[in-house]
Amino acid sequence: MIRYFFKAMGAHFRSGRLLFVLTVLGVALGVASVLSIQIINQNSLAAFEGSMMAVSGDADLSVLGRLPTLPESLYVDVLGEEGVAAAWPLYRVSVSLAQHDRFFLEVIGFDIFAPIRVPWEGGSPGDLSEVLARPGWAAFTPALADQMGWSVGDSVQVYSGSRSVSLHIGALVDFQKLSPLASPKMVVMDIAQAQHLLGRSGQVHQIDVVATDDTDVAQLQARIQKKLGESVQVVTPEGRSRQTEGLISAFRLNLTALSLISLFVGLFLVYSSTQASLVRRRAEFGMLRSIGTTRGQVFGLIVGEVVVTGTLGVLIGLPLGYWGALENVDVVSATLTNLYMLEEISTLHVSPWLFATAGLIGVGGAILGALMPAWDMSRRDTRSLLSAFTLHEKIGSFAPHLSAAGLGVFTLVGVWYVAGGSRWQHAGFVLAVGLLTGLPLLTPMAVRLLTQQIKFRTFGLAYALKSVGARLQTTAFAVAALAIAVSMLVGITLMIGSFRETLTVWIGTTVVADIYVTPSSWRGQGDEAFLEADLVERMRRFPGVKAMDRLRGFLVSSQDQRLALAGVDIGIAGGATRFTLLEGDSETAFAQVEEAGWVLVGETLARKKNLWVGDSVPIYTQNGIHSFPIAGVYYDYNAQGGAVILDLQTVEKYWGQGPVNSVALYLEAGVDTEAMVDALKAEFDTSAMDIRSNRRLREEAMTIFDQTFAVTRLLQGISLMIAVCGIALMLLVLAREQVSELALYRAIGATRYQLFSLFVGKGLGMGLLGLVMGSVGGISLAMILIFVINRAYFGWTIQVYWPWFTLGQQAITILAVSMLASLYPALKASRTPATELGRDDI
Amino acid sequence: MDHSLTFSGVSKVYETFGSGSKYALQKVSFEVEKGRKVAVIGRSGSGKSTLLHIAAGIDVPSSGRVCIHGRDLNDLSEGDRTRMRRDEIGLIFQFFHLLPHLSVYDNVTLPCLISGDRIRDVDARVRELLQRVGLADRAGDTVEKLSGGEMQRVAICRALLRKPRLLLADEPTGNLDDENGQRVMDLLLSLATDEGSTLLYVTHSKEFASLADEEWEIHSGELTKSVRA
Repeated sequence: MIRYFFKAMGAHFRSGRLLFVLTVLGVALGVASVLSIQIINQNSLAAFEGSMMAVSGDADLSVLGRLPTLPESLYVDVLGEEGVAAAWPLYRVSVSLAQHDRFFLEVIGFDIFAPIRVPWEGGSPGDLSEVLARPGWAAFTPALADQMGWSVGDSVQVYSGSRSVSLHIGALVDFQKLSPLASPKMVVMDIAQAQHLLGRSGQVHQIDVVATDDTDVAQLQARIQKKLGESVQVVTPEGRSRQTEGLISAFRLNLTALSLISLFVGLFLVYSSTQASLVRRRAEFGMLRSIGTTRGQVFGLIVGEVVVTGTLGVLIGLPLGYWGALENVDVVSATLTNLYMLEEISTLHVSPWLFATAGLIGVGGAILGALMPAWDMSRRDTRSLLSAFTLHEKIGSFAPHLSAAGLGVFTLVGVWYVAGGSRWQHAGFVLAVGLLTGLPLLTPMAVRLLTQQIKFRTFGLAYALKSVGARLQTTAFAVAALAIAVSMLVGITLMIGSFRETLTVWIGTTVVADIYVTPSSWRGQGDEAFLEADLVERMRRFPGVKAMDRLRGFLVSSQDQRLALAGVDIGIAGGATRFTLLEGDSETAFAQVEEAGWVLVGETLARKKNLWVGDSVPIYTQNGIHSFPIAGVYYDYNAQGGAVILDLQTVEKYWGQGPVNSVALYLEAGVDTEAMVDALKAEFDTSAMDIRSNRRLREEAMTIFDQTFAVTRLLQGISLMIAVCGIALMLLVLAREQVSELALYRAIGATRYQLFSLFVGKGLGMGLLGLVMGSVGGISLAMILIFVINRAYFGWTIQVYWPWFTLGQQAITILAVSMLASLYPALKASRTPATELGRDDI
Repeated sequence: MDHSLTFSGVSKVYETFGSGSKYALQKVSFEVEKGRKVAVIGRSGSGKSTLLHIAAGIDVPSSGRVCIHGRDLNDLSEGDRTRMRRDEIGLIFQFFHLLPHLSVYDNVTLPCLISGDRIRDVDARVRELLQRVGLADRAGDTVEKLSGGEMQRVAICRALLRKPRLLLADEPTGNLDDENGQRVMDLLLSLATDEGSTLLYVTHSKEFASLADEEWEIHSGELTKSVRA
């Protein structure tokens, strides 16, 4: 039987090369889609963890502040704790490289005498007196030095806030020896120099602790926590990873879900190709059964063939997926940096088990896709296998049952959601899975009902559409596969389009100042990127500037999470629209924030923690926890946990005086904004700052938005490509299945051109039906994404806008591609000779 | 004398792998006068279906000439042959070859759909034909609900719809029981007479062959004319 399997399979593949290629391609694209996303997902955290391990790899515990920084004096308290073998403070500053756009370096200041294993090139940093005394002495990674063409002895200009600092490359330090995934953009220098040149003296960001051998780390963690009080968090390295993992879990889950949809669409292709195989090999199976082959053996033959196809798909899909990850890592990395301020992904590390898992998913998925037709074929009696085929009738009779199952899925999921499922954070995904499961089940019935309504008067498109409904066994699956791909396309397009328009309106309302001045090293709140006080004052007094709004932002702790706190000049004239309120009266709320020290809470935080007007939010201040009453909830599109807005004076009251991170300038009436930008650049040394007009800032915000969804669009494309392969495959199957019908048309006078047109019409018809079904599914999916998933994971309010132009373009593309996919099958069909009129029933 | 169909020294050779050439037709020559009804009788594999396929322009001869209403098929392109088949020939098959997803009415009108005729222009004729074959009340039914005899009657209506000058039938009763076969044969001959169509049918039944004006026999690709003239 095994010898027969290989002989028959070889002949079968040779006789249907294109079918075979399309099937393998479908599996390959599905596997590639899943693998590339999983590689990127894995590495999104690995870069952060790698860098953390490179610096704090020897530490058992890290002491982190609930305020932006920790007083350096705490270091002595930690060192004095029993069971502490060693401790050292770290000071971290994100700086930007001069003359490079958004090229950030992570400078880590540490005690050069601390017992840290630093992998110096050559074994040591060289002359220690130079390390400590030479201004700007820093050690860079060899990878970065190679990339930039630097060598020891060179100077590198960097910006920290509005300061421009020259760093001297004193040594090379290869952190990737300690942790292969560590960012090559890490720079180390003496902590005192880092504080003095790039940040603030007397403050540190972290104190790493090594326990003595006989000390229980958990107990030591508790003791240090107790000793230092609630103003700090004492965490293990694993705890820090978990915190970050939680931060980006929604992002990773969304990408995974999208990639799985591509695989799901690919499975339809496997089903279809198996069906095609059965159509062609039906008589062969009938003959095998008649000479004593068991049902199990027939089943094995079919599944065995699918395993081979799936394996080939996997073999192509794995390198394709790796290549896809390489090609898209920059886009995802930029998103992670923009949204979550994580390390950029510089090196892709892929563990073998990830390849193995993707391979198993591919082959397993292929088997899953083939199970139903294989089982169906193996249980048929020999007589029916050898007689005329009536497969198309079967799915027709199943259509009502499948529809009932589809409606059942919808009902079940709907009832579950209403009955309490909505409280579960992942409920949106259950709804989406329900939708994408129910939709294909409803497809045969929907296709049948829709095509039954069609009246034809010519042998044209209407006739072609009608005939799509006549071969449900084949066409329904192509339409279902396309409907899922279109659902994904329409759903995500509608969501992104709505989100983009919502953001455009929101930015238009909130970005109201004329000019924005930000340090180029600013990556987000929590950075040590400040504008120097005298610079701010000079800008305030600059001719043509009517008013200035300052922003001071940093991360604070509120119970178990970090909040992005922003202090602004809340009462500035004309600035009331900066924060559009979702809840609360604008006039009252702004007065309360300015005069009573209340806060505005971002929608993300409000939804996540159920904090609304009238509630209070507890925040760690210099003097311990203080509960700030909530004056209003504003629309917020922050990807991180949440944000609060206070008046700058309130910030100074509770967190002390401090530098601001950026300023917004309101100009006198009649002053030309772009001319003022030029004037400011001419007046000030602005090399370390970005001075942007209102218009440019809005454009940049939208560019970042588009960049964020680039991978999503790629996944949409893959899914659509698989579905289009499905249409081509189905039409090839039809051309094969319908030989007798086509021969009849030819016999009674249809020209080749008419048959060609008929098949192109069928392709168009399937595209049209997939488009109709997919549009219904896509709109539903968009509503789930907008109102359930986004709310649950991000807490965003997205207004529904219809991107008609984009949707129209996509509809035309789908129909055009469907027609294109039908050209080759149409050509094959048109070549059917009338002599093919056999004895089979048609 | 007008001839509907003329075969002049027509041969058809198939190349078979390993066993050389096989003659399906050997130098077959005949003429069918307009309005005549000719039956070709022969066993399985005798070449009668090949003869019919060549007569319909579905297949082409290896040598010799075939003329339909005076036009030599050798001079026609494949497209012209198709159009001739569409406009001048009606085909009836042993296995009916009706489309299961279409109604009885739609199956009958299929040639008009293909030729581009307006359905409303032929509506009266469809109903008349269905009336004559006793299926007027089944026009809206799907063909799956019909018996074998009823299916063949629908196929005859389809073949006659565009008033072809030449009717070709390949074992029209071959898939029917005796009673239904007799009824279908009577109907076919009667309708061909009424429509003024020339009829050439192949059959393995001597009884049904005897109903024609002429009865020819084909054996191993060679035609013996005028078994009964």
